[in-house]
Amino acid sequence: MEPELTKVNPPQLALRLLRKVCPPELYESIEGDLIEQFELDLHEVGLKKAKHRFVGSALRFLRPGIVLRNRFTITFINTIMVSNYFKVAARNIQKRKFYSFINAFGLSIGLAFCMLIALYIQDEKEFDQFHANKNQIFRIEEKSFDTWQHDQPDPYRKSAWIQAALAPTLKEELPEVEYATRFNDGNRAIFRYGDKVFTERLTYVDKDFFTMFSFRLLHGSAERIFIDQAEVVLTPAIATKYFGDEDPIGKTIEIDNNGKKSYTVTGIIEPPPSQSSLTYAILLPQENRNYYERNMANWGNFGTPTFVQLRQNADLTVFKSNLDKIIDKYIGKKLEEWRKEAAVPIPADAKMLEYEFTVLPDVHLKKEISWEKVSDPQYSIILGGIALLIMLIACINYISLSLTTSASRRVEVGVRKVVGAQRNQLIYQFSFESLILAVISLVIGLGLVMLFLPSFNEFTNKGIELTLSSVLKLLSVGLSLTLITGLLAGSYPSWYLSRFRPASVLKGGFTSRLQAGFTKPLVVLQFALSAFLIISSVMMYRQMHFITSKDLGYNKEQVLVIPTQAGWTEESNRVVEQFRTHAQQEPTIVSVSGTSSSFNQGYSRYGFKIKGEQKSAYVYAADPNYLTTLGIQLLEGRNFDVNIPADSDAVIVNEALVRDMKWTDPLNEYYNWREDTVGMGSQVIGVVKDYHFLSLEQNFEPMFLSMNKSSVGYLTTMLVKVASTDVTAGLERVKEIWKELYPDKPFDYTFLDQDVANQYKSYQRWMSIMGLSTGFAILISCLGLFGLAGINAVNRTKEIGIRKVMGADLQTIFILLNKQFIVLALVAFSMAAPLSWWFISKWYMKEFTFKVPLTWDLFALSMGAGLLLALATVSYHAIKVALVNPAETLKYE
Amino acid sequence: MKKEYLGEFEELVLTMVGILQEDAYGNAIVNEIKERVGRNCNLSAVHVTLYRLEDKGYVKSSMGGATNTRGGRRKRIFTITNAGLAMLRAMKEARVDLWKLIPQLKIGSV
Repeated sequence: MEPELTKVNPPQLALRLLRKVCPPELYESIEGDLIEQFELDLHEVGLKKAKHRFVGSALRFLRPGIVLRNRFTITFINTIMVSNYFKVAARNIQKRKFYSFINAFGLSIGLAFCMLIALYIQDEKEFDQFHANKNQIFRIEEKSFDTWQHDQPDPYRKSAWIQAALAPTLKEELPEVEYATRFNDGNRAIFRYGDKVFTERLTYVDKDFFTMFSFRLLHGSAERIFIDQAEVVLTPAIATKYFGDEDPIGKTIEIDNNGKKSYTVTGIIEPPPSQSSLTYAILLPQENRNYYERNMANWGNFGTPTFVQLRQNADLTVFKSNLDKIIDKYIGKKLEEWRKEAAVPIPADAKMLEYEFTVLPDVHLKKEISWEKVSDPQYSIILGGIALLIMLIACINYISLSLTTSASRRVEVGVRKVVGAQRNQLIYQFSFESLILAVISLVIGLGLVMLFLPSFNEFTNKGIELTLSSVLKLLSVGLSLTLITGLLAGSYPSWYLSRFRPASVLKGGFTSRLQAGFTKPLVVLQFALSAFLIISSVMMYRQMHFITSKDLGYNKEQVLVIPTQAGWTEESNRVVEQFRTHAQQEPTIVSVSGTSSSFNQGYSRYGFKIKGEQKSAYVYAADPNYLTTLGIQLLEGRNFDVNIPADSDAVIVNEALVRDMKWTDPLNEYYNWREDTVGMGSQVIGVVKDYHFLSLEQNFEPMFLSMNKSSVGYLTTMLVKVASTDVTAGLERVKEIWKELYPDKPFDYTFLDQDVANQYKSYQRWMSIMGLSTGFAILISCLGLFGLAGINAVNRTKEIGIRKVMGADLQTIFILLNKQFIVLALVAFSMAAPLSWWFISKWYMKEFTFKVPLTWDLFALSMGAGLLLALATVSYHAIKVALVNPAETLKYE
Repeated sequence: MKKEYLGEFEELVLTMVGILQEDAYGNAIVNEIKERVGRNCNLSAVHVTLYRLEDKGYVKSSMGGATNTRGGRRKRIFTITNAGLAMLRAMKEARVDLWKLIPQLKIGSV
């Protein structure tokens, strides 16, 4: 009627949006009403305003009252079809058992990995959370200027070991501090009860320990424990070890720690849970520590970790300033002296000492301050990354396999569409199928988690247990992961499959293959990920092998390390001497020596000034048998000799020390490490070839050996070399001699090579984790490749038949079928190589000073191995297809 | 015994459907309300209310014939059902009954 007005169209964008969300049966009348109003407005208010109003009122239709009507109808259709989807999915899984297995296997391993990582991260987060007062408890830390690294960008040393007197002082003088306890762990002493004699690990604490922390007392009460100094609190395991079924309370036990003393058991405490930063087995009052009085008096002695509990409403800034006052009051003067005496000039604005504190739940992840169980949050990230990689590989399997098998679903899709299925419904159907598969994988994955948890705990050095609550959490994590991966992996295939046009599919176009072009990049990605893992773990393995097989400069085989159990006294030296005399006639014992500390059992490092220059050196007490027992090579000079009295103060130095001192003729030098003002210092009688007394993470450092008991120390550790012919017999003999000589002292021993290997335990663990996940990743991706190659070969059966008829031989067909996989693998490798090189050199190798070089053959070898594996995987199908008689495949044409 | 209630806006829309008879569709109701009550209301609100009334069984709807205006889109014509009519009547009576109970004040008194 009014043609000139109908030409003006309302804005289409708003309408298009509305059409998407509006139920179709309502849409027409709504659109009509909108247009009608638009036409009216056009007359009344003009084009611009009319458009404006139109968009406004169209958008107002995006409201629940309209949109929700929509969803109702969709769920309605869906519920009808669900049973059908389920049936079809089940049939499909059954029909293609092998592909379903590949998918479910990959997904379940990926899910299991993810769930384990989730458990790990959960465990890290829950550390120390079980203490009721966790937010009031703080660990006090010292931050002090470190003259040994004065030229570093951060010249401060941070440590949790502080003065012994601080805890009682804080509790007494600061109003904010409600409780305070010291916590010294790790000292070992001999325990005796009746005929039971063992060395045990002691932990020295204060009375407040039992009030502050939520470790439950099974016997005894926090108020009455540790009133007397001769009391001891045990964990149930220790109690049963000594007292069996008897009631331990009130029993007396003898502890030999630089002198015997009797203690009464007054409490039994539950063992610390695995998620506790504080661990203990036997608790003693702090006053029983060796040299307690001396430590209390000396504010320059940092050796006692301290925890305080602040009052509910304490102000942390006030607390901090009060701590500064404590420093001024007790060691202010001393610090000024140190500043003046320091070997290097200390900047005036640098504080000599400062106290800092960390709230208990943060202690576990504060990696810059060393603590027994401290952890690096980076581990969670790396583990999570590995899990994600595996998950990705499994998802790629699913996608590429469903794309390649899509040919067989074409007819189904066509028929469904003809019967009236919407595209949406098909997408739902295929997503539903992948979800079913994912749920099956979840069940298998949960089983795998339970199966692998013990080994996972071992790898990660954790004690995760599955409780009801953690299983529930795991289930929720697993379910959400399953939903995400199911939908993610299913989204592309379902989108792709639902795209088929029924007419072309049902017309009978079976001869043409459907090519899903997306599979190739997926395979490349998958292969690249596996290659990355292969190269990384081969590199780790090489470094590990390098470390364990490297010549350390001494002979660590068949050497027993035995603590003398006589403490830091002259007695220790006598034990070594006595043992040596007794062992002289033994054919199974080669030599006996003593030292202040064996490798990886601690060290002493002294700092001093020589001619105004700051020097430092590692120091080991030794005896004349030290060099021979360990097979250390003497380059110049001679060994110690007990018959030369002057040797008691002579030193044998290593090459690094000679370099450090810039000596040209070391045997004519004196090493003035005690800063003697009168004498010239210790005479250098020998130079040994550099050997790795430190871990391979560190370089050769200046070191010297000495027999000077008063300045260097006593031979607290005995090194016994046994004959290589029969190590067990040697060990037995050593044990017998020990029992004969010291029947009242426990015989503890380790092997030197094991001690040394323990330095690299964490690397070993990471290598195992990496190796395991690489194994799984390779397995999953090879299975995927196997499936893919199989489908590919089947797709080309006819082609190959024709080629054979035309005269192609086995080799040609073999190459034809495998060529593309080789190309894909090569592309993948060239992507993965730089990535893994970067990862290895940036993250892993930087920890070591002595490292195996990154060479091209590593990459070549990994690539060769990977290619061979891929080739072996795909060849099975290629050969199978190539061997088929062409008559078989072509006779139906 | 559960009794259905109508909201104020629902009652208004239902009344308009009753008034407009075979010309009761979304836009017409919006304009009718504007004309008679002087109240601006949103088209989408009217639509949603109409569908709700339909769910409750007070109106029923059918598509009208195509026209040349409104871009050729058909109208959805709503008609009031007996139940709707009864509901309106019941509400009116209840209100009149209540109104009678209010002491009638003279205009002008405070």
